[in-house]
Amino acid sequence: MTNQEIDLKVRDILAKKLGVGIETISGDSRLAEDLGVDSFGAVELMFEIEEAFALKIPDSDIEHVRSVKDIVVYLDGWLNKAAGAVPPAP
Amino acid sequence: MNRRRVVVTGLGVTACNGVGVQEFWSANVAGRSGITLLDAFDATHLASKIGGQVRGFAPADFMPEDIARRVDRFVHFGLACADMALRQSGIEEGKEDPERIGVIMGSGLGGLMFHEEQMVAAFDRGAHRINPAAVAKISPNAVASQIGIRYGLKGPNMVISTACASGAHAIGEAFRKIQHGEADVCLTGGVEAPLTQFNFGAYCALRVLSKNNAHPTGASRPFDLERDGFVMSEGGAVLVLEERERALRRGAVILGEISGYAANSGAHHMVMPDPEGADAARVMAAALKDAGLGRVDYINAHATSTRANDVAETNAIRTVFGAEAPKIPISSTKSMIGHAIGAAGAIEAVVCVKALQDQVIPPTINLDHPDPACDLDYVPHRCRETKMEHVMSNSFGFGNCNVALIFSRAH
Repeated sequence: MTNQEIDLKVRDILAKKLGVGIETISGDSRLAEDLGVDSFGAVELMFEIEEAFALKIPDSDIEHVRSVKDIVVYLDGWLNKAAGAVPPAP
Repeated sequence: MNRRRVVVTGLGVTACNGVGVQEFWSANVAGRSGITLLDAFDATHLASKIGGQVRGFAPADFMPEDIARRVDRFVHFGLACADMALRQSGIEEGKEDPERIGVIMGSGLGGLMFHEEQMVAAFDRGAHRINPAAVAKISPNAVASQIGIRYGLKGPNMVISTACASGAHAIGEAFRKIQHGEADVCLTGGVEAPLTQFNFGAYCALRVLSKNNAHPTGASRPFDLERDGFVMSEGGAVLVLEERERALRRGAVILGEISGYAANSGAHHMVMPDPEGADAARVMAAALKDAGLGRVDYINAHATSTRANDVAETNAIRTVFGAEAPKIPISSTKSMIGHAIGAAGAIEAVVCVKALQDQVIPPTINLDHPDPACDLDYVPHRCRETKMEHVMSNSFGFGNCNVALIFSRAH
């Protein structure tokens, strides 16, 4: 999956979750400040991303995620750069 | 103590024979059943395959999509009914003191649908695959909390779970909260979404559900010799209860009054009533005393369409009203909509208020072969116009949790 495809998929998940148009969400959108995702919302979002990408994200990694771009870079790392190190699909 | 009077200023209902008070009430007066073959889940391997599904109900008609996605079906019913009832009451957010408005709801089973779905996920794929929304969606008190959150209501907020008496208990306790001055307004009622594979299967295992799959609309037949168990259904109802003087001051339309409530226990058996109905008789007598009445003009019976209940309830009515008992019309809402467990008492409260308003008693349908052990006036087949000032509604829950409520005509 390319970086662009990951970006589209993440923004699609967010748009559906927040009930907004996908065009209103950019890579620079910050989850809490710009999109109003609270800490419970962030936990739900990570669950949906885990389901969509069939992986398990360690809690310690979630803490560093601030923006949409952070999520995309993180997923890209798992899916494309660290072949063999991808967390097992649940 | 001079107790405050409590009136009803709003109603909302979702039942298998009608969504919204108007549709529901006209179906009841017409004697229209909402029972069908089930398609909510796969009932292939179960002896009973019939139930009362609320069809044509779109949660998003009553709440924003994002809220609809975040809650279980039992809360959909609660939010929808609260929306209808609040609109009718004319109570507007921002114009009231939110700390004086409570929410007291009943639910016997809570968020079963999501619970079952998540149990399957947990066992199939591991407990680490449980959705983080599970706690918030499954908790039985989600219904009262979500109503409170949606409308910013900050008074007492709770859910009462007493099986088939949950909705009636909630209304009774809300009545007391206002009577005693702990709140001025309460949204109260009951909801249930019990038509799920596990839950329905569990009731099937208990052998209490009708197996009359060939004739769904004829399956719920309280007081009839050919009854073979109750029919399970889903739905909900919410009433806006309000302190009478306050309702009059703001020019609200008063739909009816709650004038009596009692609750007790039979302390007898987890799923069987006392055959003589001694505890049911005590609770009815206590509710009459609470209302300061000697008799009522109509009884909306618990009447589940099980022999154990129908006979015990008939005996209890005889005990309480003596020679008057055969002269008091009795009918069963469950003959048309089946048994909505924790919602039943609340849906039947809506029937009582509408009956008083329109002076019409909805019928007990399917009463073709009266059980000789049930020999009172059950208003068979057709509705009946009659003069009513006070009516009683009975609810008896598994575990012998009994409630009687008395509603009076608005004056």
